[in-house]
Amino acid sequence: MRIARKAQAGTMQSSDLMVALEPADQLSVEIESTVKLQFDHLIRAVVDEVLARHGVTAGRVRLTDRGALDYAIQARLETALSRAAER
Amino acid sequence: MVTQLLSSGDRALARVFIESQGLSFEPGFDDLVGAFESGALVATGARAGDVLKMLAIDPAWQSGALLGEVAGELVRLGLAAGHEGLFVFTRPAHAPSFEALNFRLLASHAQVALLEYGGRFERWRAATEALRRPLPPGATAGAIVLNANPFTLGHRWLVEEAARGCDRLFLLVVREDRSAFPFAARLRLVREGARDLADVVVLDTGPYAVSAVTFPAYFLRRTDAVAEIQMELDLALFGQRLAPALGVTRRFVGTEPTCATTRAYNAAMRRVLPAYGVEVVELPRREAGGQAISASTVRAALASGDEAALPALVPEATLAYLLSDEGRAVRARLGGGQERHA
Repeated sequence: MRIARKAQAGTMQSSDLMVALEPADQLSVEIESTVKLQFDHLIRAVVDEVLARHGVTAGRVRLTDRGALDYAIQARLETALSRAAER
Repeated sequence: MVTQLLSSGDRALARVFIESQGLSFEPGFDDLVGAFESGALVATGARAGDVLKMLAIDPAWQSGALLGEVAGELVRLGLAAGHEGLFVFTRPAHAPSFEALNFRLLASHAQVALLEYGGRFERWRAATEALRRPLPPGATAGAIVLNANPFTLGHRWLVEEAARGCDRLFLLVVREDRSAFPFAARLRLVREGARDLADVVVLDTGPYAVSAVTFPAYFLRRTDAVAEIQMELDLALFGQRLAPALGVTRRFVGTEPTCATTRAYNAAMRRVLPAYGVEVVELPRREAGGQAISASTVRAALASGDEAALPALVPEATLAYLLSDEGRAVRARLGGGQERHA
C-alpha cells in the first residue's frame, strides 16, 4: 500500500506509542522512545516487519514510544497505515 | 477524557481554572482542551501554533496520567495542523515529566525550561553536519546570529572581521518571517554577500535562535522582565545546544547604537554565554558618512525613496535585489518605515 495522506494513531500514555505518517519519496523511520537505549533495535524490527508486510516502500514514519509491547506497536502502526491509505 | 473546550461556558471555566493554578490565561490560541472529573475541570492545555501553553493540572490529579492525555491531544492536533514539532515552556522542575512523554529538553534557565516534541533539533543538527567539513583539531569556530533585513556592508564588515578572528565562521540567519524582507531573500543575500570568504558557512537557524518561540519580545521590541527571561533562555539554548552542535566557542556581535532591545540582548550575551564556554566578541559598527551602517538605515533610505544612498550601504547582490521587481514589492510594503531591527 501507499502512504497517500498524513495520518496518526496512538496516545502519549505509558505503554503506548504515537505514530505519525506522511507521504514522502523515500522511506524513513524516526523513532523516539523513553527506552530507546535498550529497545530501539527491537522497535525498529517490528516497524520494518509491518511496513514490509503492507508493501510500504515510501513515506515518513515517525514514532514516539513509551515502552509499548510489540503487539501495541503493530496495532498502532497498522491503524495509522489504514488511515493514511488511499480510499 | 480530554475534550476540546469550544463553548464560551467551557472557556470561562478554563480561564478560572488556569488562573487558579497560577498561570495567566492568554487568548489567541488555536486549540484549548481540558479534562473533567465528576463534572469539574481538572486539567487544561492550549496550543498556539507550535507552542503548547496553559498546561495546568489540579494538584489532586497530578500523580495520574492527565499530563500525557492533555499533551498527547495537543500534540495530535498540532501535528494534524501541519507542524513539524511542538514546543513547551515549563518550570525546570517539571521538565522530567515532559521528558517522560518523549519531549526533549532544549534549554534550561533558572526560571524556565524549553522542551520540544518531534526530534526536530536532532534533524537540524544532522542537516547542518552535512553542510560542513570537520574542523581540524585545535581550530576555533565562531558564529554570528543575524536577521540581515537586508544584508548590508555593515554586516559584510562584521563578517570579515569575525572571520579573521576564527578558523570557521557560521552565519546563522534568523528564520522567523516577521521582518520586511522574506527569509528566503535574506538567506540568499547573506550567502551571496559572503560567498568569496573562505570557511564561512551560512545556516538556516530554524526556530532555535531569535525566533517567535525563543524570543518573541524581539519582534515586539520589548525590554521588560519577560523579555529579559526570553533573551536569557534564547542564549542558554545557544550555549547549551547550538554552540556544542557546531563546535562554536566564540560569538561575534556588532555594537548596537540605537535599538534598546538589541542592546539588552547583547548585554545578556555577555552575562549568559561565557558560562557555556562561549566568548562574546563585540565589534564596532562600520560607519558611512559619520553614521553606523545598519539594516534600519537601509530600510529608511528605501522608505524615503533615496536610491542614491544605497550603493554606500549595501553590497552588490543586495543592491541588485533591492532594485529588482521582488525588492520593489518589499519597498512598497516598507512605506512609512516604522518597523525596526537590524
